Amino acid sequence: MFSRRRQTATTEHGTADEFGAAALEFLDVLYTAALRLTRRPDQADDLVQDTYLKAIRARARFEQGTNLKAWMYTILHNTWRNRRRDGARAPVDYNSEAVELAADGAGGLSAQGETPETLLLRATLDEDLQAALDGLSEPFREVVWLRDVDELSYQEIAEALDIPVGTVMSRLSRGRKQLFDALMQRGCTQGV
Amino acid sequence: MPCQQIESLLPSFVDGVARPDETRVVEAHLSSCAACREAVAAQRAVRAVLQARALVLTLPAPPGLRTRLAARAADEAQGMPVLGWGGRLTAFAAAAMVVLVVGSVALPVVTTRSTVLLAAQLVLDHLKCFTIDGDADTAPISAEQGAAILKSEYGYTFAVPQAAAAEGMSLVAVRQCLYGDGLAAHLLYRLDGAPVSLFVMPGLARPAAELDLFGQDQIVWNDGQKTYMLVGQAGAHDRLRRVASQLGNEAR
Repeated sequence: MFSRRRQTATTEHGTADEFGAAALEFLDVLYTAALRLTRRPDQADDLVQDTYLKAIRARARFEQGTNLKAWMYTILHNTWRNRRRDGARAPVDYNSEAVELAADGAGGLSAQGETPETLLLRATLDEDLQAALDGLSEPFREVVWLRDVDELSYQEIAEALDIPVGTVMSRLSRGRKQLFDALMQRGCTQGV
Repeated sequence: MPCQQIESLLPSFVDGVARPDETRVVEAHLSSCAACREAVAAQRAVRAVLQARALVLTLPAPPGLRTRLAARAADEAQGMPVLGWGGRLTAFAAAAMVVLVVGSVALPVVTTRSTVLLAAQLVLDHLKCFTIDGDADTAPISAEQGAAILKSEYGYTFAVPQAAAAEGMSLVAVRQCLYGDGLAAHLLYRLDGAPVSLFVMPGLARPAAELDLFGQDQIVWNDGQKTYMLVGQAGAHDRLRRVASQLGNEAR
């Protein structure tokens, strides 16, 4: 049985555990994002804990009435960027221009005769969709995910990822197209 | 305007949030550019698929993580850097409260937009279930047999409507479908050999609507207690409408 008694102030608005409770509403969403970025459950766990701790401590800076999910995303991505910078691993920052250029090489709607409906038929297999998403490079996957799965606005995405809105738009365009092509390809190679 | 400049206008155009002047520019370009028309179709399809699958794409966080975070929040509230017994007790209270909060936000908000999402999701199930269960040569079953299968296999009491047969639809299979808001009865029919699905969602009254997502027609209506959605290939729209109105009459 759980007791309704709360040990901290219940009258004062915005105590750490009230804020924490509101933020925990997005735990699954943020954990999924952390897993997407780190690709390792233990690191995802760690990244999420850091994100929440920072959010709770900085809760006074959260503007009431704005999107708490987007704000939490901003902290998560900041934390992730800092970690990557501190770690000695791999490229620290994506070279935006190189990323956009690489996307251009991905090719057009090469699968002639395919329609969005045939794509859809195959996308009903969730592992296909998951694999296609995993196949996108991180800068594109994040933009597409934040928009189409998490329904953040373009401005919120720009803030979370610390990139200009124009870059959000071009990555969204290209990311969606890459994902479409990837889904097509999976279907073709598997002969569905 | 060259395709490269149009590219960054496409997302807001596809998402329906473009400014009127942007919309005019994009529409003018699309009227003479097949490649960008294809890009728009691709973007629409991807967005619809991701929206419809948003729930399954979001993974559950480990329960232990939730408890730990609630405990941390409680510790912070008390200015306690280390988790002690008091912290733990508060943590349990906070965790219990979180469950209540989460429970209360999961209720469906019935809007036109969410009907579009529901339709997108059910079209996916329509296509998927027909590939699993709806072979073209499957022998038809009667409404009573359908009801018996729902009862014995899914423990679901549901009167399968008779009216569909009048319009030449033959029932080929029945299933139970899990969708965003709960369980639906999924009745799989063939109309002149083409797959048609009727989804019946109890405890839900969504506004009537006619949609045409992904080359399929969807007709939505409710009888006050249940929401119905008929999904079939575009082209048979008038017949689907007649089926819908007969089913509506039967329900009354």
